[in-house]
Amino acid sequence: MAITVKKVDRNVDMTLWERMYIPEMICGMLITWRHFFLNFVGLFLEEVGGKHYRRIATVYYPEEMPIVPVAYRGRPVLVRSKNGIEKCVACGLCEAACPPNCISIIGGERPNGDRYPDSYVLDGSRCIFCGFCEEVCPKEAIVMSHDWKNLCEYNRSKMVYTKKELLYPERNLQKRFDVLRDKYFSAYRYRQSPNLKTEPKE
Amino acid sequence: MANNQKNYDFHKESHTEPLEINMGPSHPATHGTVKFYLTLDGETIKDIDVEIGYLHRAFEKECELQHWSGIFPYTDRLDYTAGVLNNVGYALAVEKLIGIETPERCKYIRVIASEMGRLSGHYTNLAACAMELGALTAFLYFVEAREYLWDLIESFCGARLTHNYIRIGGLTSDLPDEFPESTEVVFKKNEKLYDDFAKLLLKNRIFLDRMRDTGGISAELAKEWGFSGPCLRACGVPFDVRKSEPYLVYDKLDFEIPIGSTGDNFDRFLVRMDEIKQSIRIIRQCLKQIPDGPINVDDPMWRQPSKDDINSDMESMIFHFKNVIEGQKVPEGEVYHAIEACNGELGFYLVSNGSGSPVKCRVRPPSFPMTSALPIMVKGSLLADLIPTFDMINLIGGECDR
Amino acid sequence: MIGVVDLIEVLVKIGFIVVLLVGVFAPVLTWVERKQSAVMQDRIGANRADVFGFRIIGLLHAAADAIKLIFKEDFIPRGADRTLHTLAPIMALIPAILAFSVIPFGGTYTFGDREVNLVIANLDVGVLFVFAITSLATYGVFIAGWSSNNNWALLGGLRASAQMFSYEVTMGLTIIGLVMFYQSLSMVEIVAKQDIFWHWGIIWHWPAFILFLACAVAENKRIPFDAPEAESELVAGYFTEYSGLKFVMFWTAEFIEIVTISALCVVLFFGGHHIPFIADAKLIDCFSSLGANIANLVAMVIGVTVFVSKLAIIIFLQMTIRWTMPRFRYDQIMKLGWKMILPLSLIWIFVVGLGMLTNLIPRI
Repeated sequence: MAITVKKVDRNVDMTLWERMYIPEMICGMLITWRHFFLNFVGLFLEEVGGKHYRRIATVYYPEEMPIVPVAYRGRPVLVRSKNGIEKCVACGLCEAACPPNCISIIGGERPNGDRYPDSYVLDGSRCIFCGFCEEVCPKEAIVMSHDWKNLCEYNRSKMVYTKKELLYPERNLQKRFDVLRDKYFSAYRYRQSPNLKTEPKE
Repeated sequence: MANNQKNYDFHKESHTEPLEINMGPSHPATHGTVKFYLTLDGETIKDIDVEIGYLHRAFEKECELQHWSGIFPYTDRLDYTAGVLNNVGYALAVEKLIGIETPERCKYIRVIASEMGRLSGHYTNLAACAMELGALTAFLYFVEAREYLWDLIESFCGARLTHNYIRIGGLTSDLPDEFPESTEVVFKKNEKLYDDFAKLLLKNRIFLDRMRDTGGISAELAKEWGFSGPCLRACGVPFDVRKSEPYLVYDKLDFEIPIGSTGDNFDRFLVRMDEIKQSIRIIRQCLKQIPDGPINVDDPMWRQPSKDDINSDMESMIFHFKNVIEGQKVPEGEVYHAIEACNGELGFYLVSNGSGSPVKCRVRPPSFPMTSALPIMVKGSLLADLIPTFDMINLIGGECDR
Repeated sequence: MIGVVDLIEVLVKIGFIVVLLVGVFAPVLTWVERKQSAVMQDRIGANRADVFGFRIIGLLHAAADAIKLIFKEDFIPRGADRTLHTLAPIMALIPAILAFSVIPFGGTYTFGDREVNLVIANLDVGVLFVFAITSLATYGVFIAGWSSNNNWALLGGLRASAQMFSYEVTMGLTIIGLVMFYQSLSMVEIVAKQDIFWHWGIIWHWPAFILFLACAVAENKRIPFDAPEAESELVAGYFTEYSGLKFVMFWTAEFIEIVTISALCVVLFFGGHHIPFIADAKLIDCFSSLGANIANLVAMVIGVTVFVSKLAIIIFLQMTIRWTMPRFRYDQIMKLGWKMILPLSLIWIFVVGLGMLTNLIPRI
């Protein structure tokens, strides 16, 4: 395959216009001024209610919350099912798959023979939010929530999450389960491309 | 008269000595990842000694302790400005070792993802260069563009910086449904910011004077030192792994290789500026051409089984447990595969003995050869020239020191 | 013999200038620089400091910064010259404020039988005085770099002294043409002669204005001429080793210098306190129905307001330049100063002289 080469324009001979510093300086200042006035008007209009006039990219954090997409990987949480107990069966797959080894589980057995994690410790200071635990879990018992607030502490010992802190009601995670089932793990099956709205082939 | 003597040594006669000074690691220009030991004669650099290793995290050793798939999050942290590219490079190396071919759709999505990584890497690099030359507004325009791009990346892989998106034999997830439209929106915004950035800098004589004819290197020397990527292309050598050894679907895409002529900082800057345009062009083409289909290989050995399968199928479940706990068994052998990362040729050399972890995972960092050639590029120039030269080399600590 | 009333008048004027510079302009300018750059760069900017929940769009950050810096440790590095290290910021700050003493911030107004001239010291050689005083600031900067016992600070000090010395020469030469035009070195007289709009400096001397502004920004060591404190090259240049209150002094000196330069521009090129097409006497006439004293007072207030507004516009221009431009290399600054601006200003002197000789430029 032929390599299509394009030579960049070095602009070696500057025109007198460009040599004079001042004209191009003014052109540059016009750009910054344009940004300034558009943003200024936008900020003013936003104050009086025109939210869509805003042009500033900054998220104004405590007053505004960033909107995270469904695929977002936040703090890993243990799913607490409707009957109030965790879904986890302490199989230890997440422990094995975790690259920084931040999960440690001690399994236990309920009187009816069900296995459950007697202690489930996730060291938040080691977690790298890779999502492998969620990916390998056979019971959908640990998922990456959209929880990203208050993950920082002054004391590392406070970042070690025990089972009590990790449990999260199932009903708040329904969206994430949908994502998991829909995209995450049936990906090797046939999927329709979003932009080609053709009928799936048999 | 002392001046008329042949071997007149100014420093000896005037009882002065060169100023020896440590630049870095805690210096605004070195980003905490490198140290220069400079010998200055006034403002002129007489000698420079580059010390790397401040961000050494034993990546290669760490890989030997992980399963094959567990290495992906670590590769994110190599070139942290373009995490997906490292993901892709590692995945392609492992797939070459196994001998599997991913489906077409997966390849296209990988190209989209890696071009987005390249965009983010170039945005960061050019913005940082502008900032270090004092143009803070230009810096923030590109950081804003990168921010929009990261929102896009976040929408399909769930994280902004440490993507962990690619898997052996496929991807973690498909693109979201509204992806082509949101991409177009973001690209529209970014092209406007690109224009502003270009207008602020590329015609400005102050910037031109700072960049032109500084830190240059000849094409022969660049080849000898093992340059690759934009720094080599700035010398006029049209070497790009995407073209010379096409991987994924790059041979089906139409894009140009921007090259410079002199190999100085300004050429490097322009080459990167142009690559941003080319990357956007590639992504637009990919979104047009992308076929339907699966995104993972349909081989139970190399993919995560679906949750439904695990719950309903005993064999799947046992296989899944074995795969996760022992690691996926990559066949014995060794392999080298290189891709075009945003700094140049990023190569992964992997050795397997058939177990669940690699015996050796060596990375060829693209910025390392350029860093080692830094002394010959800046010796004899002014202290201020070190800044753009170092920026255009784009030493990423995580990648160079590993 | 100086009378008590004269003394009070001078003290009031000094108080006004000091309060305006140190109390209003310096803190507000830090806020303006932050906020203007933020809005320019599609950001929001600092707005978190609050008193009882009132944020006043970030204006309180100036106070918060001041309080923080005052209570910070005053650090003197080992091996530094303690006396000079302490003296340097004072030597940088005082000339900056002192230069304002000859700048007229209003016209001449009569109250009863007393004439009040809104300038602290009406020197005949006001222009020369400003240049003499601002060149003293070089010592502060250079001593700061030298006494810190830090290589980066030394390099910064060297760069600063070389740059400031070179640009002083050029800055002086850029306005020689103007001085020839107005045939006076007194600031008050120059302003008085700009009573008519067509006599404003900017109309006849706009090339000199561009050259003067470039020199002035270089003198003030701000981007694009900030090689002495280039953050990415020399960490922070000559004030690398300064903290706390001494750092505030350098910082304040820089902002006051911005105001001084802008004031010089206003006085020399933009007609001082004059409103275009409205002469002072006319303005006082407008309010003559209120009585002579009150008319004068109103005219005075209007004059000072106009002066400050012009000042604000020039400051805004300077800030925009600072946020738009990249930085020169050190040798390029020298080249620009000696090889471009100096010859151009000499040519301009020649052109003005020729123009006045042939009566193309009016004598006023």
